[in-house]
Amino acid sequence: MDRIAPWLQTHWDDRAAGNFIGGGTGSGLAIVAATTLLASGESPPAAFALAALLIALGLGLVWLEMGRPWRFLHVFLHPQTSWMTREALIAPPLLAALGIAAWLEGAASAVAALVLALAFLFSQSQILHAAKGIPAWREPRIVPLIVATGIAEGAGAYLLIGAVFGVLPESPFAIALTLAAIFARSLAWSSYRRHLSRGSAPAGARRALAAFSPMVVVLGTIVPFVLLLAALALPDAVNALAPLGGLAALAIGWRMKHAIIRRAAFNQGFAIAQPHGARGGATRAEARPGWS
Amino acid sequence: MTRREPTTRRRVATYCYQCVAGPDLLTVQVDDGVAVAVEPNFCAAGIHPGAGRVCVKAYGLVQKTYNPHRVLSPMKRTNPLKGRDQEPGFVPISWDEALDLVAAKLNAIRKSGLLDASGYPKVAASFGGGGTPQSYMGTFPAYLAAWGPVDMGFGSGQGVKCYHSEHLYGELWHRAFTVSPDTPSCRYLLSFGSNTEASGGVVGVRRHADARVRGLKRVQIEPHLSVTGACSAEWLPIRPKTDAAFLYALIHVLLHENARAALDLQFLKARTASPYLVGRHGYYLRDPASRRPLMWDVRRKSAVPYDAPDADPALEGEFLADAIEIGPDGEELERGSLAGTTAFGKLLEHMRRCTPEWAAPICDVPAATIRRVANEFLAQACVGETVEIEGETLPFRPVAITLGKTVNNGWGGYECCWARTVAVALVGGLEVPGGTLGTTVRLNRPMSDRTGSVKAGADGFMAYPFNPTDKESWSASPNIRNAYRTLVPLAANGPWSQALGPTHFSWMFLDGTPKGLPGVTFPELWFLYRSNPAISFWDTAAIEDKMSRFPFIVAFAYTRDESNHMADILLPECTDLEGLQLVRIGGTKYVEQFWDQEGFALRQPAVDARGSARDFTDIATELARRTGLLEPYNAAINKGAAGTPLKAEGYDFSLDVTKAHGREEIWDRACRAASAELTDGAASDGLDWYKAHGFRTRRFSTLDWYLYPALVRQGLRFELPYQERLFRIGQELGRRLHDQGMTWWDEQLAEYQALPPWRNFPALWEKAAAEAGWSAADFPFWLVTARSMQYAWGGNAGIQMMHEVAENVAGHGGVIVNAGTAARLGIADGDLVEISTPRRATRGRAVLRQGIRPDTLLMVGQFQHWATPYAKNFGVPSMNGLVPMSLDLTDATGSGADLVRVSLSRVGGPQ
Amino acid sequence: MTKWAMVVDLRRCVGCQTCTAACKQANATPPGVQWRRVLDMEVGEYPRVQRTFVPVGCMHCDDPPCMSVCPSTATRKREDGIVTIDYGLCIGCGYCAVACPYQARFKTDRASFAYGDRPSDAEDMSFDGDRLAVATKCTFCVDRVDAGISKGLKPGVDPDATPACVNSCIAGALHFGDIDDPASNVRHLVAGNAHFRMHEELGTGPRMYYLWG
Repeated sequence: MDRIAPWLQTHWDDRAAGNFIGGGTGSGLAIVAATTLLASGESPPAAFALAALLIALGLGLVWLEMGRPWRFLHVFLHPQTSWMTREALIAPPLLAALGIAAWLEGAASAVAALVLALAFLFSQSQILHAAKGIPAWREPRIVPLIVATGIAEGAGAYLLIGAVFGVLPESPFAIALTLAAIFARSLAWSSYRRHLSRGSAPAGARRALAAFSPMVVVLGTIVPFVLLLAALALPDAVNALAPLGGLAALAIGWRMKHAIIRRAAFNQGFAIAQPHGARGGATRAEARPGWS
Repeated sequence: MTRREPTTRRRVATYCYQCVAGPDLLTVQVDDGVAVAVEPNFCAAGIHPGAGRVCVKAYGLVQKTYNPHRVLSPMKRTNPLKGRDQEPGFVPISWDEALDLVAAKLNAIRKSGLLDASGYPKVAASFGGGGTPQSYMGTFPAYLAAWGPVDMGFGSGQGVKCYHSEHLYGELWHRAFTVSPDTPSCRYLLSFGSNTEASGGVVGVRRHADARVRGLKRVQIEPHLSVTGACSAEWLPIRPKTDAAFLYALIHVLLHENARAALDLQFLKARTASPYLVGRHGYYLRDPASRRPLMWDVRRKSAVPYDAPDADPALEGEFLADAIEIGPDGEELERGSLAGTTAFGKLLEHMRRCTPEWAAPICDVPAATIRRVANEFLAQACVGETVEIEGETLPFRPVAITLGKTVNNGWGGYECCWARTVAVALVGGLEVPGGTLGTTVRLNRPMSDRTGSVKAGADGFMAYPFNPTDKESWSASPNIRNAYRTLVPLAANGPWSQALGPTHFSWMFLDGTPKGLPGVTFPELWFLYRSNPAISFWDTAAIEDKMSRFPFIVAFAYTRDESNHMADILLPECTDLEGLQLVRIGGTKYVEQFWDQEGFALRQPAVDARGSARDFTDIATELARRTGLLEPYNAAINKGAAGTPLKAEGYDFSLDVTKAHGREEIWDRACRAASAELTDGAASDGLDWYKAHGFRTRRFSTLDWYLYPALVRQGLRFELPYQERLFRIGQELGRRLHDQGMTWWDEQLAEYQALPPWRNFPALWEKAAAEAGWSAADFPFWLVTARSMQYAWGGNAGIQMMHEVAENVAGHGGVIVNAGTAARLGIADGDLVEISTPRRATRGRAVLRQGIRPDTLLMVGQFQHWATPYAKNFGVPSMNGLVPMSLDLTDATGSGADLVRVSLSRVGGPQ
Repeated sequence: MTKWAMVVDLRRCVGCQTCTAACKQANATPPGVQWRRVLDMEVGEYPRVQRTFVPVGCMHCDDPPCMSVCPSTATRKREDGIVTIDYGLCIGCGYCAVACPYQARFKTDRASFAYGDRPSDAEDMSFDGDRLAVATKCTFCVDRVDAGISKGLKPGVDPDATPACVNSCIAGALHFGDIDDPASNVRHLVAGNAHFRMHEELGTGPRMYYLWG
């Protein structure tokens, strides 16, 4: 390997991807559960509990990835600029709010969980956006994408839980919310991909995302859309169709994050540019290996 | 665990001479007795032309010292069978036992006679690295001198791995064992494959960097874009082995497409043999009385001897002269009023057809490009300009031509060296400021004084110590196995000559000596040091096989390697940071190493010897004692075998020849003598002074970079362009050989041309492959190599850090293939490919690059180790196993070229 | 205000890796970790190809993305512009490594040595366990610079106050000095030659200047 053209980063592995999966779905689930509770007056307590569990699992995976895990308290030292610190600072009250919401099912705790989960999810999106070394992450459109897919995954998870607890027939709101989240994710994905394909990511990253894109469109958007619309149209089949649609929304979200964190995470590579103030003698060409 | 702070820290001054472009002066940081880092010796910045910096190889010395794979105790072989497939079964023994075993063998040899039945020395020795081991072997040369005849002609790859034709012809024409541009003031440089940025050392790299920033335009002409090409203004991807055609076309443009006055006519008339008249048999017309070559004096309108005062010689034309023409063996071919053409006129005619249009399809370089380059060369030559150096006015010709390996050795090497030297002479750019310089002598004497080696010889030229070819003196019985004195008159007969003969003959003839030579024998004892022929030679499988049949090999061993795998005794010597030695520095040395200082530098133990490694000087002394050679050994040291004579006018630090002396005492004497030599006897500082200061120098005149003033002072001429003497020698040599029934050297005899014609050199290699049964389509690629700065000469493939940093330079991980070619063959970057000749094949990873001709493959460096710890796991191919060892591919100087026709195929995917 | 910067003259660099080796030795980095290295880049297609050698490493950016993302404040920027890592604070999360667009950061989880698991005497002498499982990178040889300054030496001029890579460079391609000092070597070089900074469009303000005009 010449290690000049961008290559796949190896600093963050599946454990890091696990945090974005667990944290994203968990916070998304918290948002959907809280919103549903606030909108319809009820939401399965298990949804809040599962959200907390997913977030905790994700953080646990990150902890495992740390080189010096017993210094984990140092993660709280830089709230001024570090979104990782901010994510870490939000996590304890979020977990607490989710616990309370699961226990008490009260509106206040739901509001707190909603706000904190939104902040947590936003932090996760900003963590990627701030990673300037990875073009596919630093792209600003990753922020709405991570938020949208988090909510879509959470909504999908909510539908699964709803099916388990038999609350779906009373929850067209959750299905509608899922549809909206999937739609938003679809828009965010196509906007993200469009901008990356305009040259703001290395060829390897673009190829990886292009290879994955049909899955997002078909399995992550069209299939859940059809299933969820059918669920709305066929109340008798809601317990079968909605969780299936939710599962598709959830699974493709997880795969998408895995693709972004692990497959599209080509670093910047190296480049030489045209010099400033070049005189006639400067004849060297610009070069940006791996970007075209 | 936090890094611990050392309680003691020292910086020890020493040198690195791992490659021919050394020495570099450095300091070693020693913490609590452990060497931890190498740094430049910043105190040397003022005296070293490379600003006192140290090449990358030196940074590997710390790991070299502490390499766990080192041989740290004498060892003896327990398995009597030898071969690659035989485990030697080395077991540790004491120094006493090891030296007893070696001394017993040596004493037995002395007792039975130093020469064998064929007349060859029973003891042989091989040292690698272009003479660099001498900077690490202490007083061992004194031991060899005390011993008597030793066959130093087995070599370690010389001839095919060196600038062989340049070494020999360069020394003949301008005391140029190696050639360099006068980089500090050169403005336009044509570099035919000369890889200065990889092999020019710190000084070469620094000077060229300065020159580039100053505006030097270097045109790199070579089949692949080397690191030197990368640092050049222009790259011309020429077809391999066609450089001579390019150079001939360049000369054509100078001679036939430009006004005559654009050339340096004054230089040609006064400092070359251009005006000499050549008779119809091809020999100079000579004055019947004095036998001096004649010129036509325009002023007197008559022929005059070359040294006639106030002559204005004609450069062109045919003239009648009262003369004799003398052929080989002093035969008078003709006498009377003879017609003679000037040598320059001969050259004009010789080059008339060599137009750029003729050369273009041969070289695969457009004619317009060749023409442009030739005209740029002429325009930049500044013919007529002068410069003052140290009060002396010299011509200023800031143009130069350099040649690289494979260009300046093997068939075609003569033609390239000749054409290069002629081209620069045409503009007066030979041995003058800005121009093309020789920088070291190895065949002429004294070796430490190049300008001092300029001595008047016959016909107005510098003397040259040819091996004689006359009937009475020609050596019919070779003194060593490669028969350099018999076959290669140019190789001379000095200390370096044995290694500059056709070294591969020593190996080839072991299994069949051609008619006329005494049967080549295995040496009874072979010393091996810093040399790994089993890796570095050509046709390495054959070398391994023959080496396995050597009866007794004594290897001074750093780690196990492919050559000492066949050894009987391994002797661990103190390595670079452990040993003690004083060497000469500065003056003019290899390639770009011409300094404005000269003096001495000390290598001193920065750390204690590891294990029971012993200093080379102490080993040599002990061997001398045990073989009863103390007196001649000490006498050799007194005479100068330790770098400088211990006794001269005004000082005497001679050793008592009857006693065995320790290394400290020997080198203390050498240091005192060095101090005295540098100060004309005023100082006598010894070892302690050098240990504290590291080096001592004095001013070396810049004027001594140039031979021109010495030639002017002595009224001498460069032996150019016409090679009457070589032509005669070739004729004589042919007669001598034929008298012995030796016709197998006839192809080589054809090289002795007064004006060498272009031959289809690439076809020689194609023919060699075709004779092995292949059709042209089977071997579409040229396989070539390039030096690696990280490894060249260093014997350091087993050093982890060198491997790691070298990997950053393209090609160190496999074979470089043109990306377009690879796409055509379905080869992806990193794929496993096989490179084959009719007889051998090797495998490696494809490294796809744009900077290489589509018909050329490149393997950097010399790898494919199978015994050297660490290096044996590289999996990187080497061309050395593929290059055939053959008489057909050996030129008249006894050298081959580092290239071979091969096929390429994909055999597997990436790792 | 002093701002240390490095100038790389691409006209001079020959890709020899002497700086790479000198850095590895001076900083005792383990196998595979190269705080300084020289790229061997090709541009164009045969036969119109250019090959260029480009030294890279930490650019000690004006606005280092590694610092702003660091959750532990282990990565800091000194007044003189040198970006440092406090090995005692670093949690080894690797965030800085993905934030750096110059691939300048390394993390080695286990001790490794040139020849296997056991250190040589030299490696043992230089081994620093504090650097395991945390982020590491080029420091501009900050200890050497500081020690030199405390002795009244001038970084970039006096070897004992100058980074090892600059000291070692055989081509005179690497220069170190105070870019804010109008009289400094680096300021003169940048002012007098065409130059660029790598990935300047990312707004990091890298302080390695590449000359080639």
